[in-house]
Amino acid sequence: MPDTGSYMVAAYIVTAVIVVGYAVNLWRRGR
Amino acid sequence: MTLDLAQADGHIRRGRVVTLLGLAALAALYVMALQFTPPERFQGLAQKIFYIHPPAAYAMQLAFVMTGIASLIYLLLKDARFDRFAEASAEVGMVLAVIVVITGPIWGKPVWGAWWTWEPRLTFTVIEMLVFGGYFALRGAVRDPAERAKFAAVVGIMALVLVPFNHMTVYLFASQHPEPVVVQTGKPELPWVMLRSFITGFVVFTVLYMGMVMQRYGIGAKRDIREALDA
Amino acid sequence: MNALRAAWAIAAKDLRIEWRSRTAILTASLFAILVELIIVFGRDAGTVSYAMLAPSVLWITIALSSLVALNRAFLLEREHGALEGILAAPVNRSALFWGKWFANLVFVLAVVTVAFPLWVLFFNVEPSTGLYGVMGLAVLGAIGFTAVGTVFSAMTVRTRHAELLLPVLMLPFMLPPVFFAAQATMRLLGGRPMEELWGWLRLLALFDVVFLVLATLIFPAVVDE
Repeated sequence: MPDTGSYMVAAYIVTAVIVVGYAVNLWRRGR
Repeated sequence: MTLDLAQADGHIRRGRVVTLLGLAALAALYVMALQFTPPERFQGLAQKIFYIHPPAAYAMQLAFVMTGIASLIYLLLKDARFDRFAEASAEVGMVLAVIVVITGPIWGKPVWGAWWTWEPRLTFTVIEMLVFGGYFALRGAVRDPAERAKFAAVVGIMALVLVPFNHMTVYLFASQHPEPVVVQTGKPELPWVMLRSFITGFVVFTVLYMGMVMQRYGIGAKRDIREALDA
Repeated sequence: MNALRAAWAIAAKDLRIEWRSRTAILTASLFAILVELIIVFGRDAGTVSYAMLAPSVLWITIALSSLVALNRAFLLEREHGALEGILAAPVNRSALFWGKWFANLVFVLAVVTVAFPLWVLFFNVEPSTGLYGVMGLAVLGAIGFTAVGTVFSAMTVRTRHAELLLPVLMLPFMLPPVFFAAQATMRLLGGRPMEELWGWLRLLALFDVVFLVLATLIFPAVVDE
């Protein structure tokens, strides 16, 4: 099994950052 | 006016609740995919990117198609609510597209040996992003709200009609050159433990889409009310 | 019939104005030639032959010069407030579209007519009967994206940064027809059998029909208040 764990971690972190970042952005704009 | 403002705030509040639900579900998906789903034999852990990448791509397509449909309804009824919805859906679509075009190459690098291979679905996403980049550029360049809505709706409909041509283009283009393959990725039957996480991903991104569009719709409604008051 | 006559009157008016001054068409032609030139100088002369580049160059030239041409499609009307005049006349909006579109198509094809022989010359294109086919492709390709461009141009001309917005809006819509047409051009120049061409021609024609119909239907919404 190839060692590709770091790619997985990177993808999961990037996705979380974008989703949470946009959610926070919407929260602020909604005030 | 105050009633409209209260309504807009209601959309934002409900949107926040749904978005929070979506975020919680995303966290649950992460736990499920990372802790309770076995790694795939040939690709290793990178295969787990597939519990977020295709769901995000599907939600992006959903967002842009909804923008197209709302645009069409706007042109027919000239009801500002559909313009607001089209704008909200397009913005959320853009955010989802960013996730797609970043996670795609992260998966492609270990599996295909290159960050960018003009893989048809990724190319498609990039073109969609450019179309909607133009959509927002046009929105930003028109001051009159009614004209802005009208012009944006025209682009939204044209973009929807472009989708099948876009599909044909990227797939035919990809068939013109060989794809580099480092790791063989057959189409094996997905065992239930993996399918479970995969399906969850689709649900999570649908909920996130809904929550974010609701919030964005409310924000747009508030902006429109303020603009109307200033005018 | 009446609508067709009105469309023709609008197209004839536009083309007469263009023909009288000729500045725009000459400038657009110069632009097309310069695009061909910049590709020659931007290329890696050691490894990329002119023949390899030829189909791409033709379609890059047509795409970029169409943008330049379409940018000024509604400029005259805006500068003199003439669009309101046309709209006040009892002219079918779709007829107005057809008139503007046809004038744009002729304009683009006039520019291509200037750029085409120079393309043959500069890129050492082997003269063959296939070249007639390539000319036909230029017409077939231009039909679709001038239709899209006429609608977009009618919108962008009423915005700030019109000359920046039109290319950004239009280029994604040019990707499919340019791709189909470039593929067909490669096969025509390579003397491939007709069977290999049909698929690309059909796609190009499909794009033309779909967007010509859509533009006809949607254009009235753009100009009407």
